[in-house]
Amino acid sequence: MERLNARLEIPEVEPGTLGACPVAPDALVDIKRQQTNPARWRGRGWKEFSDAVRALGVEMSETISARGAYATDAGGTAYGLPHGVVIARSAEQIAGLLKAAQAHRVPVTVRGGGLTTEGESVAFGGVLLDMTGMSRVISIDPAALSVRTQAGIFWHSLAEELRREGLDYLSAPLNLTSSVGGTLGVGGIDVNSPRLGCSADQALALQVVTPTGDIVECSDTQNPELFARVILGYGQFGVITEATLKVRPYTPLRMHYYYYSSLRTAIEDLQLIDRNDASDYSGILTILDCAVNLLVAFDSPEREAAFKAGWESRLRGHGEFGFGLRMLGRYALRPWKLGEAWLLLQRKRELFPELQRSEYMRDGLMLDRTVVFSRAVWNFWGGRQMVIPDLATSAAKFADAVERGNAVCRKYFPHYTLYCVGIRLRKDHREHYEMSCIPPDAEEWAYGCEFEPMTNGRTYSRDHLQSFKNAIYDIGVDVGASYYRFGGMMKGYIRRVFGDALVDRHLAMKKKADPAMILNRDVIF
Amino acid sequence: MFGRARSPVVRKDHSACSGCSLCLLVCPVWRQTRDPRLTPEGRAKALQHGAPARELAASVAACRLCGACEPVCPEDIDLVGMTLGLRAHLADPALVTALHGRMKEIASQPLRVLDAKIAFLPGPALREKPQVMARITALTGAVPSTDDGVDIEEALQSGIPIPRERLERFLGHLRAAQEVVVEDGQWMRPLREWLPKARLTSLGAALGNLDAVRRSLRKTDLYVIEPRAYHSDYERLVGHYDRLRTERGCAFNLDLQRIAIPPAAQADWILKGLRVERVVVERQEDAEAFVAHGAYPVVHLAELADH
Repeated sequence: MERLNARLEIPEVEPGTLGACPVAPDALVDIKRQQTNPARWRGRGWKEFSDAVRALGVEMSETISARGAYATDAGGTAYGLPHGVVIARSAEQIAGLLKAAQAHRVPVTVRGGGLTTEGESVAFGGVLLDMTGMSRVISIDPAALSVRTQAGIFWHSLAEELRREGLDYLSAPLNLTSSVGGTLGVGGIDVNSPRLGCSADQALALQVVTPTGDIVECSDTQNPELFARVILGYGQFGVITEATLKVRPYTPLRMHYYYYSSLRTAIEDLQLIDRNDASDYSGILTILDCAVNLLVAFDSPEREAAFKAGWESRLRGHGEFGFGLRMLGRYALRPWKLGEAWLLLQRKRELFPELQRSEYMRDGLMLDRTVVFSRAVWNFWGGRQMVIPDLATSAAKFADAVERGNAVCRKYFPHYTLYCVGIRLRKDHREHYEMSCIPPDAEEWAYGCEFEPMTNGRTYSRDHLQSFKNAIYDIGVDVGASYYRFGGMMKGYIRRVFGDALVDRHLAMKKKADPAMILNRDVIF
Repeated sequence: MFGRARSPVVRKDHSACSGCSLCLLVCPVWRQTRDPRLTPEGRAKALQHGAPARELAASVAACRLCGACEPVCPEDIDLVGMTLGLRAHLADPALVTALHGRMKEIASQPLRVLDAKIAFLPGPALREKPQVMARITALTGAVPSTDDGVDIEEALQSGIPIPRERLERFLGHLRAAQEVVVEDGQWMRPLREWLPKARLTSLGAALGNLDAVRRSLRKTDLYVIEPRAYHSDYERLVGHYDRLRTERGCAFNLDLQRIAIPPAAQADWILKGLRVERVVVERQEDAEAFVAHGAYPVVHLAELADH
């Protein structure tokens, strides 16, 4: 019996290494693969650690009511409980926590808005550090157009503060409860990213607590190596506790929608607009793959007029009425597809009014785009399971990758939405982009597409959802892309996409910065 | 277990919480403490993972029942009901006994039916302002209830069940009314169930629909919406106040999601960045926060008709 137990025991895997796998790499092609939660940390030395942390005056909660609140993330497919929860209050508190964690080799998982979809912000044992406890704006400098804020703040809470000064952030995820720190660690896209870049690129300076508990200020000029590693670093090289961000004067949006029946044509037009700086905001949102919405918006009447005069006629999309007529013709010739037509009408009836609610509009301008879009996201795509695999490619590869991803979606789900947007890259931040969501071959712009199944209340098995994600991720490997959420992929994908040499180099840096491999250790390595 | 079963419309309970955190953004307790355990999401998630009610006592006690969390919840969870259910579970037996004793005593006192088509339920602070009360009656035709219902209000806030005889006395004296105007939106939820045939109106909406009141609103006014009534009838009232904003140009205690910010302890935040010359309140209790602030004159909405 003892021998049997010994055989059944799961061997411990040293953090940062892959456990022995008896399956050859190619043996899994076309076989459904199931992502499993990382092995749970077994709690060795927890008592000594928690005593040490409490001796520092840090409040650590071990009740089920505190731990249960963090059992999963927005994805809702990975579940794990921490041994204890600490709500972040100061950089000094976090420094003490990380020093103790290094000494006792206790994993620390950092969580902001918890909007990861593959368990990146779920703690499989150890400490869950909830950064939302540090979510106050420290100072706003309207003259310098910058803000200093604690990094656990939600972008929406930051917007609330900035708007009182007539200001706005540059770009942030279209989701009210993304946190600033979490976003700077992974990228962050908005419909103005084709002009302003990803959210991570708007950071001017950071205060970071390193995995060994040092509190360090960094920027492009001060400790630039740390800055380059922490930005888009997936939480591997430090906890962002404060951030200085660029801001801008607030402007309401002038929105225009164009409709396409071809995904490729819409993508080509999106890239035409981006290349020529023809709009302030652009993005694609599909209703069906034959009903594609290209969103174009402007901050000023001048920019809008210039677009109307110079670019609108070059777009191959239609207005709502013209597209409606085309759809009428399409379904008159294909009566067996009337179900599809019904879905389109239903979407128009339900979704469109949500995007134009009078309290968020004034004189035809959209006042609060993030509120409008985030409400729609949660009302129409939200739920206990959110599965959003994605691909990020160079401009040249994008249309092919999206078409292939679209074919995968069609195979797995009756209804789904694609959200595509460009990301303007900064030449001076190429070092930030290494081994990140920005694909290595992208120049000037990268393009991202999220593939979002609409489950409509139906529950899918984890196997089904995982197979779908694998099929999307496989496209990324095949075309040489990256992923917004590459931290949440099966770890094997990281090496397949970036190659052993690059991953090993980053792993060596990680081990140097985090000797006990305690910080967010289940995310990438 | 903790959901209230008495709501006529079956809404989702804590098990539906997806952890989106949208309720945190609007929660006044979150805004002050930045402690997720003290928020509706914190309570729902804890319940999902089997937390006993006693572990949630501090969280439950902290809730101000402003109802801001409900309109933003994409899952339409009865979050206020969840909190009241927990309060009922955690209620101090000595407090329940004492309150029930008071309620039974009140129930034993005779009370005449209110002879009015429109009844009005003012709060304690407004009852101390007879001139404003008279103005409200003159403007709306609403007659103040002779049973102040303070004990019932206390029971509602604590999640304590209300003895049948006490409820019959209270509702009996309102039975002639076709419409009930309430100053505190806390009454909206139970009255919808208790008086299904009566039209329920918040005092803010009742007064705000009057020309005499509307035309006295200025661009330089901060109009303080009573949060509970607003959030309990959000889809309808968000349009009412949006029209008022368009027509009069005044500022409101609304955040970017168009959720009302409760004034208690948040007057500074509400006023931040606004250029106002006067504060107009729908609920007399809300005046206190701005009077304490001291920077602007504070008037009740009903008093506008005199200006």
